[in-house]
Amino acid sequence: MLNVKDLHKKYPNGTHALKGVSFDVTPGEFLVVIGLSGSGKSTLLRCINRLHEPSHGSISFEGNDVTHISGQPLRTLRSNVGMIFQHFNLIPRKTVMTNVLSGSLSRTGILKSIFGLFTEEDKEKAKRFIKIVGLEGKENQRADNLSGGQQQRVAIARALMQNPKVLLADEPVASLDPATSHSVMQYLKKVNEELGVTVICNLHFLSLVRQYASRVIALKGGKLIYEGQPLEIDENWFKTIYGEEAVEVTID
Amino acid sequence: MTTLVQDALPGENKGAGYKKLKKTVRAFGIDLFIWSYMILASWKIIYEKIFIGDRYATFTWNQPLIALGLGALVTLVLFFTRVSIGKAVSGLYESRPERTVLSEPYTILGYVLLIVTFVSGIFISQVSITEFLSASGLHGARRIFTALFNPNFAIIEQALFAAIETIYMAFIATMLALPMAFVIAFFAARNLMNGSKLTMAIYSIVRFFLNVSRSIEPLVWAIIFSVWVGIGPFAGMLALWLHSVSSLSKLYSEQIENISNGPIEAMTATGAHPIQVIWFGVVPQIVLPYLSFTIYRWDINVRMATVIGLVGGGGIGTMLMQYQGLAKWNEVGLLVIIIAAIVWIMDYLSSKIREAIK
Ligand SMILES: Nc1ncnc2c1ncn2[C@@H]1O[C@H](COP(=O)(O)OP(=O)(O)OP(=O)(O)O)[C@@H](O)[C@H]1O
Ligand SMILES: [Mg+2]
Repeated sequence: MLNVKDLHKKYPNGTHALKGVSFDVTPGEFLVVIGLSGSGKSTLLRCINRLHEPSHGSISFEGNDVTHISGQPLRTLRSNVGMIFQHFNLIPRKTVMTNVLSGSLSRTGILKSIFGLFTEEDKEKAKRFIKIVGLEGKENQRADNLSGGQQQRVAIARALMQNPKVLLADEPVASLDPATSHSVMQYLKKVNEELGVTVICNLHFLSLVRQYASRVIALKGGKLIYEGQPLEIDENWFKTIYGEEAVEVTID
Repeated sequence: MTTLVQDALPGENKGAGYKKLKKTVRAFGIDLFIWSYMILASWKIIYEKIFIGDRYATFTWNQPLIALGLGALVTLVLFFTRVSIGKAVSGLYESRPERTVLSEPYTILGYVLLIVTFVSGIFISQVSITEFLSASGLHGARRIFTALFNPNFAIIEQALFAAIETIYMAFIATMLALPMAFVIAFFAARNLMNGSKLTMAIYSIVRFFLNVSRSIEPLVWAIIFSVWVGIGPFAGMLALWLHSVSSLSKLYSEQIENISNGPIEAMTATGAHPIQVIWFGVVPQIVLPYLSFTIYRWDINVRMATVIGLVGGGGIGTMLMQYQGLAKWNEVGLLVIIIAAIVWIMDYLSSKIREAIK
């Protein structure tokens, strides 16, 4: 459903963050991207929903070339691709409900959204997703007063409001403690398996990768150096991906 | 994952020599200034005016030049010892473990600099205990204080109307400044304008005008406008308005520069329209600080309106000036009480409101 071909990204300051990355994503999979800090994982995800402009190469989504679209077609692409972030990026001072509803902005008129006039259907939907991520009863609390794990679940519900076909997750658990990490990962797994949303997720910890990924790709210095099953990553691959001196740290 | 520790190292040594040279030149400049200043102040003020007692010592422009020459000589000699303040502030000295900073020679020179400035300052401000405590002076003060504490309530109606004029004038100045500052702030926010050379140029020009108009006191604007539109509250309002536009623009734009990019990115990623991105990603981060700044500005404007009234900006300030000119101290007493009350109430209200919306 998503085909990335020979993708390059050069930042204006000269950093060549992606150097020809190609891979395909099949519907329903839970694809995890691993690699050292600075290897280009975030850049890759942000090129897919075009928060960053690719410098070269192509991306196609469900058969349509989306590498250089703009305006309404770009917004349509983005509404099909949800994203969750390491630091949650919720709207401060707003309630859980408003935050989740903001996921439906792309199908709400500008004036209506400014006056907060979301459709009844969307409000019902928001309540349902809040329930799915286990936050029932917290609809009217301020989102920035919740714990980190709860905020990330609000972010998942917000992304689900878009009816996404793909969910991009950029290190969704990197600022959470181990137990909370697992809970958030399990919600992502649930979204993947029960709602059939394809997930592309950047992760740091291999133990999480082995537990949740259905397939893994690894980046190093902006190049794709590994593609395979999570359990195939042995000692040798580990050292190639993370460097000779690296030692595996586990999270449980 | 320890491999990235050395990220920043290469390239660090490239400009080191140049940097050191720049620091040395700056240190020398600072020393030159300090020594020339100390020589000039000691000579023209402490020596001639205080020791010789010459009130009308002649000044010629070659005197500072002589001081500069002498300063250069002293600097040349002492730059290579540990008494250089310039080197100390530029961080060119290694710190010595056996000495505290407070006992370093350059710190002691700092004390001397402070003493020279203090002594000169006392003389220049014409500080005089005898005048402060002179019998006729004290008598005059007692007369005024007695009058001030016996305010004349006959003019209270007129005074309250003038006070209302002041408060409304400040309010209108703030309200009219708000929308302009709101728009200008976006052009004065670096994070929104650093996209291209053109926007950066606009940013610089806007910032330049803001800084210039802010550095001209509202008092000066009031004088200009009172000639332009005539003495009265309108002139005062214009002066306050102009100053408020530039101050609020600066505060607003700093607030925009401080917003976090996260919500904006998240809203963009949902496929929202740019206007929705601003409404949901930017506005929630700025409304409350904006509101708080604006209320505080109104508070400041009421105080300033009083001062501006003194030069013809209308309101209670103008009234105060008129009665003061006529030496009607009982009336002045009443006005002072009303002004104090307004300032106190505004201060109280604005801090309460700002606390409530935090
Ligand atoms: N906006 C930007 N402008 C310039 N360079 C950038 C920008 N964002 C990232 N980079 C650079 O691109 C390279 C890849 O960064 P990226 O954030 O994609 O890595 P990452 O794998 O996500 O790392 P991390 O695990 O630390 O999040 C890095 O060298 C980074 O410094
Ligand atoms: Mg990253």
